[in-house]
Amino acid sequence: MNGYLAFVKKEFTENMKNYRFLIMLSVFLIFGMMSAFLAKFTPEILSALAAEMKMRAEPVALDAWKQFYKNISGVGFSAVIILYGSCLSGEYSKGTLVLMVTKGLSRRAVILAKYTAAAVLMTISYWGSYALTYGYTAFLWSDTKLSNVALAALALWILGFLYLSILMVGCVLFEQTFTSILFTGGMVAVISLLGIIGPLARFSPFHLTTQNIDLISGIAAPSDLIMPVLTSMIISILGLLVAIRLFNTKAL
Amino acid sequence: MNILTIQNLSKSFGKQKIIDDLNMSVPAGSIFGFIGQNGAGKTTTMKMVLGLLRPDSGEIRLCDEKVCFGQTKTDRSIGYLPDVPEFYGYMTAPQYLGLCGKIIGSSKSEIEQRTQDLLALVGLSSATEQIGGFSRGMKQRLGIAQALFTDPKLLICDEPTSALDPAGRKEILDILRKISTTTTVLFSTHILSDVERICDRVAFLHEGKIAVCGTLAKIKEMHGHDSLLIEFSDDEGLSVFKQQKAIRPLIAGSEETNREIILHSRDMKKVQQTLFGVFYETGLCPVKMQIMGPSLESLFLEVIK
Repeated sequence: MNGYLAFVKKEFTENMKNYRFLIMLSVFLIFGMMSAFLAKFTPEILSALAAEMKMRAEPVALDAWKQFYKNISGVGFSAVIILYGSCLSGEYSKGTLVLMVTKGLSRRAVILAKYTAAAVLMTISYWGSYALTYGYTAFLWSDTKLSNVALAALALWILGFLYLSILMVGCVLFEQTFTSILFTGGMVAVISLLGIIGPLARFSPFHLTTQNIDLISGIAAPSDLIMPVLTSMIISILGLLVAIRLFNTKAL
Repeated sequence: MNILTIQNLSKSFGKQKIIDDLNMSVPAGSIFGFIGQNGAGKTTTMKMVLGLLRPDSGEIRLCDEKVCFGQTKTDRSIGYLPDVPEFYGYMTAPQYLGLCGKIIGSSKSEIEQRTQDLLALVGLSSATEQIGGFSRGMKQRLGIAQALFTDPKLLICDEPTSALDPAGRKEILDILRKISTTTTVLFSTHILSDVERICDRVAFLHEGKIAVCGTLAKIKEMHGHDSLLIEFSDDEGLSVFKQQKAIRPLIAGSEETNREIILHSRDMKKVQQTLFGVFYETGLCPVKMQIMGPSLESLFLEVIK
């Protein structure tokens, strides 16, 4: 436990010093600010650029949330994976972990500490972005009534843990950043392909990226997300366990 | 008592067998020189002792406890200094040692005290900059400090001096000698003068096995032979010297360069008596006579032949 806590602290410091957190937070906050503004003013910008173009409908608050989910689930989480893809490869190539492990720091603590730091910083960035989108949406569309806004955001946030967990397995398996990221992409593709298969479809964790808008607009019920949330959590925990097991047998 | 015992250890990388049935033991309290050519398998052996590499077969026991790959239990008795230690560059030396202290579970006051003592020992008390700005020698010294943080029974140093200039080397060797009163030191290297300077026991690793092992003095005695260098002022002196009947049996195996001749023998006293007799009879006067003890270098070359 001592080792874990000390290493978590080291991870937080490192994420500040190497600007990883700053970059991630900036990406998420920019999307948080942009979502509502883009939804509100895109029709006006387009009409200004092409005078003949007429927008069929007035933008609504739901459009802001559509922007938010599209950006965060795509670019936002890609940024997280790219930024954290190097969380172990740097330590392998420099050999910094050897000194820590030979002090008696357990290998499990290394993986858990890296995961904790990444998960906490991702959470701060994610909910920061959510808060901005929420604030600007409320400011720009004052009379909006949407349901389950926070619950929809919670669903996508849970998927973030799944991505990080798969990334950890990749980082343990491969010594190069690029290969770890590629592995994560490949695994995500495999899981989403499995989700197309009829009987498995309702378990697919990627419902968490597609059902947010339905949830907000009232088309989907919160209970529809129970299975995807459970699958995500189970895969995340399994991923972490696999990463720890593999790391225990890795030559450093 | 042996602090480290290695029995029948083997390790291959692909088809290449690096360590082949290696047996070795390091007695407590010694400064043990682990000598071998580049690529002989010194680092591989050390990494197996640290549980960082999985041996193909064999057993390693540290303080009578079995070393298991991937487990860090036995690492608490070992301090490890890699050949080029790497640290988190954004930390300062006290911050790094603080991290080490927290990992092993020391209290805040213990960490502060130990950090102060160790930084003083390695001469880094006044280094306030980030480790990223340290020179190689400073990093090596910090490496020793972090290795000693756990108060280990065995300090393993992997070629600690090979990347350093003579001043840096001397500093590291002095520190190792200083700590050897309390800690057993296992020290791999191919710089033989370093071994002669501080080690009391040595083992030569060759083709995956220990070729020679024992105390430095005993090894020199068993495998080495003394040499005697004689230099004459001109070529004629040398040729007259060589023609003497008493000298002829000594010349076998000798080396000759310009006006110098180096005679080898295991009984140098007898050789000297013969020589002085010859000099007296012939009136020859060499300009230089020097006894050269068996060097580790000649031993090393003999081992790897």
